[in-house]
Amino acid sequence: MFEKLLIANRGEIALRVITTCREMGIQTVAVYSDADRDALHVLEADEAVCLGPSEPTESYLNVDKIIGAARMTGAQAVHPGYGFLAENAAFAEQCEQEGLVFVGPPSRVIRNLGDKTEARRTMIKGGVPVIPGMMQTEGDPDVLAREAGNIGYPVLIKAAAGGGGKGMRVVRSPQEFREACISASSEARSAFGNGAIYLEKYLEQPRHIEFQILADTKGTVIHLLERECSIQRRHQKIIEETPSPALSPALRAAMGEAAVAAARAAGYVNAGTVEFLLDASGDFYFLEVNTRLQVEHPITEMITGIDLVRQQIEIAAGNPLRFSQGDIVGRGHAIECRIYAEDPLNGFFPSPGRILFVKEPRGPGIRNDCGIYSGYTVPVEYDPILSKLITHAGTRQECIHRMIRALKDYVILGVLTPIPFLVDVLSSEAFMEGETYTDFIDTHFGSWNPSLNDINAVGLAYVVDQLANRAAPAAPGTADGETYSPWKTLGNFRP
Amino acid sequence: MDYNLRIGGLTRGIVCDIRDDGTLSARVDGELFEVRYRVISSNQIHLEIDGAGYNVYLADDPTGRIINLGGTSYLVQDADSLAQGRSRRRGPLEIPQEVTPPMPSVVVRILVAAGDPVEKGQGVVVVSAMKMETTLMAPFGGRVHSINVKEGDKVMPGQILVDIEKQEEEVTACQEELSR
Repeated sequence: MFEKLLIANRGEIALRVITTCREMGIQTVAVYSDADRDALHVLEADEAVCLGPSEPTESYLNVDKIIGAARMTGAQAVHPGYGFLAENAAFAEQCEQEGLVFVGPPSRVIRNLGDKTEARRTMIKGGVPVIPGMMQTEGDPDVLAREAGNIGYPVLIKAAAGGGGKGMRVVRSPQEFREACISASSEARSAFGNGAIYLEKYLEQPRHIEFQILADTKGTVIHLLERECSIQRRHQKIIEETPSPALSPALRAAMGEAAVAAARAAGYVNAGTVEFLLDASGDFYFLEVNTRLQVEHPITEMITGIDLVRQQIEIAAGNPLRFSQGDIVGRGHAIECRIYAEDPLNGFFPSPGRILFVKEPRGPGIRNDCGIYSGYTVPVEYDPILSKLITHAGTRQECIHRMIRALKDYVILGVLTPIPFLVDVLSSEAFMEGETYTDFIDTHFGSWNPSLNDINAVGLAYVVDQLANRAAPAAPGTADGETYSPWKTLGNFRP
Repeated sequence: MDYNLRIGGLTRGIVCDIRDDGTLSARVDGELFEVRYRVISSNQIHLEIDGAGYNVYLADDPTGRIINLGGTSYLVQDADSLAQGRSRRRGPLEIPQEVTPPMPSVVVRILVAAGDPVEKGQGVVVVSAMKMETTLMAPFGGRVHSINVKEGDKVMPGQILVDIEKQEEEVTACQEELSR
């Protein structure tokens, strides 16, 4: 096993990897940019190396600097997390050439699957059903417009190197098409360094179902059941759950088999995720393979009891899987809510700033993969994810109520979060009934406003605070009395 | 003590009488509440309002206090001192009347030129922040008077990126609508 591993990422996912490494007795090396000097992953790792300026290309996306840091610290393996270089074949290849073990699939697999059109061809050959659309990328807007006409509106513009909804646009009419192409391509170029786009038929009211797969170097490929990730805003998932309320045992078996077939067709090794769209008639289509650990991997860990990061590291070290498909049993139900620094009243626009106070929820079946602390400043430079709140319970109903309770107990002051919005989504009849389609937010929560039921109590709290708390300082020995200057805070608050 | 508070866009008048035994009586918009309170820390107060317990969490904001109860954070401001203040920030539900980014961003593309006629809701500038592109729309129909930025510029909220002259007809149409 490795003695030392470098984590080429930041925030909660870097912390997630550190946790498992520590349990496995592996030393950890964090990397960070100037904007992340005080980030929790830097504070928690055994060693930390500064990469330089906050621009991603100068730090977390800079292959040479990261490989240099691994060499300098003597790390034998590199875990890329998700995002940044996680699906960058050139990075994986350079690790391979430098004798560093990349904790993920071989670079050729990342390259083939990372090119979404190449992946579609591979899947068609492997007998996996795919969505109707273009087989290659196209730069000429006239050709794209003609293709869009052939496929039929609505069409979906996708980035060949895409992921996380970046560079993706739904276009419903030819009039919007050109500007959407330019903007998708430019967004893809700035996010992935590759502006190539292609088109797919846009399916109305589909569900997003994905299967976790594990493949070792000995040729064993298994799946660890599904995750349903239909609740999305701006094509980014915000609530995920497993098992999916939409899958019958027969459909689960069929999709699981297709996921394993997809992994085999691609020559997959390590942990990966095969994404499908499931339509109302029960037909499913291959969407893409994510050649990395998913943001939402914890819900699979909760119901299967398997630590996916540990499996990734074991596989990367050349060890065989210690279980087979028959050993994989899902116990109960798990839900994840992504807590971003964002404003649910303003199109979920990012809300960076200083965290003045945090209180994490506790209790049975609650897990919070969290990268923040009281006094931490959420930088404007990166994805504004603060934490992932996960609950696990015996049934879906119990799990929903556990999540609502946990969300209400989760206090983050200083930046805006979607917590009240998530509470309302989980409490809605449509969610309770499992009516979870990818257009769920637009359909049911297009014009959401927080309920202001507790206004009187809030007003009374303000008065008590003014009269009692402000007049007399708090009792000594209170742990949460973080001092700060209001001049340093970005005042951006409202319900 | 009398308070006139703005909470989440609503106003509440509170008249209260605090006692040094950890209790107070208060009228919120005339409705009477009996409150028992305990200050747990500078960030936490426990309230019992008519016998029901609440944990309330608090922090400072440059314009007021942030108060969290039951999973929702509220900005609570003293309406009287707000009225005296020179500038009040825009509320969440008011439509922006100028082309300005909602947070620090970089200008990616400018979709119009000076002199161009624009319609209400038409995209005029695309900005990028935190890996996300957002199109800023024309708040009303009219003619582009001036472009105040160029591509690649770093811009801040409140900075007017594009000046648009409001169309006369629209103003008149609105007035007609109102008079009807």
